[in-house]
Amino acid sequence: MNENAIVATNNLSKYYDQICRVNKVNMVVKEGEIYGFLGPNGAGKSTTLKMLLGLVKPSEGNVTIFGKDWSKHRQSILKQIGSLIESPSYYGHLTGIENMRIMQRLRQVPNKNVEEALRIVRLENQKNKKVEQYSLGMKQRLGIAMAILSFPKLLILDEPTNGLDPAGIGEIRELIKSLPQRYGMTVLLSSHLLSEIEQIATSVGIISDGKLLFQGDMSLLKARSRASISIKTMDNGLAIKTLFPYGFMAEPKKDRFFFNYMSDSQVAHINKLLVDHGIEVIRIEENKMSLEDIFLELTGKERSL
Amino acid sequence: MIALSLEFFKLRRKRIFLMIILFLLAQMVWAFLSLSMSMSKNNVAHPQWEAVIAVIASMNGLFLPIISAIIVSRVCDMEHKGNTWKMIVTTNINRKQIYLAKYVCVLLLLLFYVILQTALIALFGLTNDFISPAPIILLGQYILGTMITSTTIVALQQWVSLSLKNQAFALCLGMVGGFIGMTADLFPAIIRQFFIWSYYTGLSPATYLFTENAATYISRPLDPFMLIIALILTAILYAAGSWRISSKEI
Repeated sequence: MNENAIVATNNLSKYYDQICRVNKVNMVVKEGEIYGFLGPNGAGKSTTLKMLLGLVKPSEGNVTIFGKDWSKHRQSILKQIGSLIESPSYYGHLTGIENMRIMQRLRQVPNKNVEEALRIVRLENQKNKKVEQYSLGMKQRLGIAMAILSFPKLLILDEPTNGLDPAGIGEIRELIKSLPQRYGMTVLLSSHLLSEIEQIATSVGIISDGKLLFQGDMSLLKARSRASISIKTMDNGLAIKTLFPYGFMAEPKKDRFFFNYMSDSQVAHINKLLVDHGIEVIRIEENKMSLEDIFLELTGKERSL
Repeated sequence: MIALSLEFFKLRRKRIFLMIILFLLAQMVWAFLSLSMSMSKNNVAHPQWEAVIAVIASMNGLFLPIISAIIVSRVCDMEHKGNTWKMIVTTNINRKQIYLAKYVCVLLLLLFYVILQTALIALFGLTNDFISPAPIILLGQYILGTMITSTTIVALQQWVSLSLKNQAFALCLGMVGGFIGMTADLFPAIIRQFFIWSYYTGLSPATYLFTENAATYISRPLDPFMLIIALILTAILYAAGSWRISSKEI
């Protein structure tokens, strides 16, 4: 296990009626990072997060949080986790502050945390209003306030921007981004929106059909989007043979051949070699995969983006 | 204690005490009117406490299953409506504690109902020229018998109310229970024991004996056999409900 891992799962799996929803997931969330857990709808994100919180029992595998085995240290682990799963939980007939008081007593934290959490999510002026009269965005912010009430070491947020308008999404995004630096929290955030994860997360895990397909720094994922060079000539076979002795190994595909990323001078050199050998060059193009392309390639799905 | 005090905190603005009082008043007005009419029709100069207790215990068979179902439903439904189980479970209080807190909360509310009811019985007796002063022991036994029956019924109602999101089913069960409780005395004794709603009269310290052309009201000790059955049923229903809710995935 990674030494500074806050969350580590080992072959975590969940079956419902023999249908595998989460398949041997080995997730590692390091201290201080914002881990974006990305996947299409129904990929197994919420089920995985629920297993981390003990809302769902794993069929196989185990969970280690703060270096402790979840099954043996449930209470001490939960004390240090704040969470918002799927939709905010609240008592609609009570006011915002009353809901916070319930959470305060359940978590046994001081009074000042309630005011501070409401201030952070900018609900202090609405705290005496019944929650059933709140807008969706306000309910979502209340849910986040409840999650950060104890200023936990680990904050788990499942689709926290669901149902919010663009302004609300931006506001929540900035709030989440600020939490690790301001309060030393590690954030595990799930979303089906690549753009959201791209803007918030420092590392990412991509899940599809219950399988964790990619995990690592955001920079590693972005590195996959480095450009490739495609060339189309009047005789591609001859062109590939011609370039090979010069150390350029091309990969033919359809009506052109491809090189991994290369500098401008290398592209110019290849062009000159082809022309010098009498091969007519029709097209030289730079192809760059977007994160969206990478995501689609990984998940094999064109949905929920 | 934290969990229990939170249950009462959550009941804010639910007007649960007002509802309990109005429900009780409806029952007691009905009971006292029918008792007064019966006493004047039969020219009873000095009515007995046993008569009042037996009549009200019999009416409890109808009213208490319904009010129990309503209170349990009010206490449990807010967790379903607000999706709050997942919030509670992720704190350091476990589900069994919450289940117990809800159970005790409902029983305390029903105890309030029964104590208020007993106070009204005493008041009725004092204002109607009863032979003897208010019989503390008999009234105490009445409270005990009623509350023991309620522990069983609440255990069943809470199991249903927390297991099923749609509270219509739990409320229907309360109404069916009320119907059985009201008509239970018509069943043979052996069959009556299978219906927990009939225990309000079964565990009443006062009952009536039919003679040739009249009914005589008598006091009696609480039936230990029925008491044990009620307690065993409570333990089974409570344990089953608590286990079901604690092991349920959210």
